[in-house]
Amino acid sequence: MAKSTSELHVAIVKIFKDVMDVEDIEITNETTADDVEEWDSLSHVRLIVAVEKKYAIKFSDAEIESLRKFGDLVTAVARKTNA
Amino acid sequence: MTPTLSELLTGRPATTTLADAVLKVWPEHEAYLTKSLSVRDAPVLEMTEWLAEAAVILGGDRLHTIAENYRWTCDRLREEELHFHRHGSYRLTTFEAANAEVYSDDAYMERYIDGLLLSQVFWSNHVESCNFYFREVPKVLKDSARLLEIGPGHGLMLYLSLKTFGLAGATAWDISPVSVDQSRRALERLGASGATFAVQDIMQLAPGAAAFDLVVMSEVLEHLEDPRRALTSIRNVMAVGAYLFVNVPINSPSPDHIYLLETVEDVLALVETAGFRVVSHGAFASQGKELKRALRQKISVSVCVIAVAGD
Ligand SMILES: C[S@@+](CC[C@H](N)C(=O)[O-])C[C@H]1O[C@@H](n2cnc3c(N)ncnc32)[C@H](O)[C@@H]1O
Repeated sequence: MAKSTSELHVAIVKIFKDVMDVEDIEITNETTADDVEEWDSLSHVRLIVAVEKKYAIKFSDAEIESLRKFGDLVTAVARKTNA
Repeated sequence: MTPTLSELLTGRPATTTLADAVLKVWPEHEAYLTKSLSVRDAPVLEMTEWLAEAAVILGGDRLHTIAENYRWTCDRLREEELHFHRHGSYRLTTFEAANAEVYSDDAYMERYIDGLLLSQVFWSNHVESCNFYFREVPKVLKDSARLLEIGPGHGLMLYLSLKTFGLAGATAWDISPVSVDQSRRALERLGASGATFAVQDIMQLAPGAAAFDLVVMSEVLEHLEDPRRALTSIRNVMAVGAYLFVNVPINSPSPDHIYLLETVEDVLALVETAGFRVVSHGAFASQGKELKRALRQKISVSVCVIAVAGD
């Protein structure tokens, strides 16, 4: 079932906060690792895997590298879950 | 506010030299280094500089290459992290596989060892473990003790032990002749004398072969198929009442980590069931994360244990 991007956004923000262990922080489509201290290359890997598990999808190594903005991740999940 | 990297490096020339070398080849690593240094308290920062001084001597004129190899090593570790979080297990589980992929590949090993040398300074859990060792071991170690270190690798702990513990003697064993050679040369470069080196498989120790007062195993158990058997075997060269220091990372995927321990209790149980009684322990998560959170997120934690050999 196709989900609206805003529903996805909310769900992935929840995963993001859980993986990064952050609470009071605003996440927008433009948020990158530069904006969140906890978002480093290793927590990025955990974020990707948490999203993969939740949506039963898989990212390639190149995709993992290229997902820099939070919004890119949401778009990629939307694309994969609609396919 | 987190201090800036240059504030954190002020008055720490050796750490600065290493950080400069890394940032030249990997500018994006600045945030990591800043965080990693900002979580350290004063004694740990002092230990950082101490380790960095030794690493600068060991690095000599190869610092640029070493920095490149550190970056390369971190890339390999990220691949292993991906596998670990996807599957909940380490990618390789046998010595044979690790040997085929890592140990027997000289070019791979050279880069990997360089990478690990800098990790000794830049990963807070490594420095915290070293700090634990130098704080806790003197509390139990008798004068003129005989020390055995298994798999000393870059040799930093052996070097600092020789310098500060007032030992009667130190022995270093490793199953790999290449590693033995490397440790021996490292100690020479550092200008430390008093250690004897030998190729020795710790799985093959006859009772009473030697009697040591302190046996050190840092980042060795996770490389073994049967760490309990290794500890039981080592018990053969320790007198009753001798001490064991173990540093083993949990939830710590790496190309040649084949034995997965997931909790601090796993580590304590491993040591206890091999015939030791735990005297003290410490657990240090990467980047100074709170232990509870690190365990929940399965972030790498270095677990250090001091235990005494039972009868
Ligand atoms: C990762 S290194 C440890 C480096 C260093 N102590 C540190 O803390 O970074 C592990 C060492 O254990 C050695 N080793 C593995 N199995 C062994 C065995 N059965 N007997 C003796 N040494 C062994 C390896 O050859 C390797 O040099």
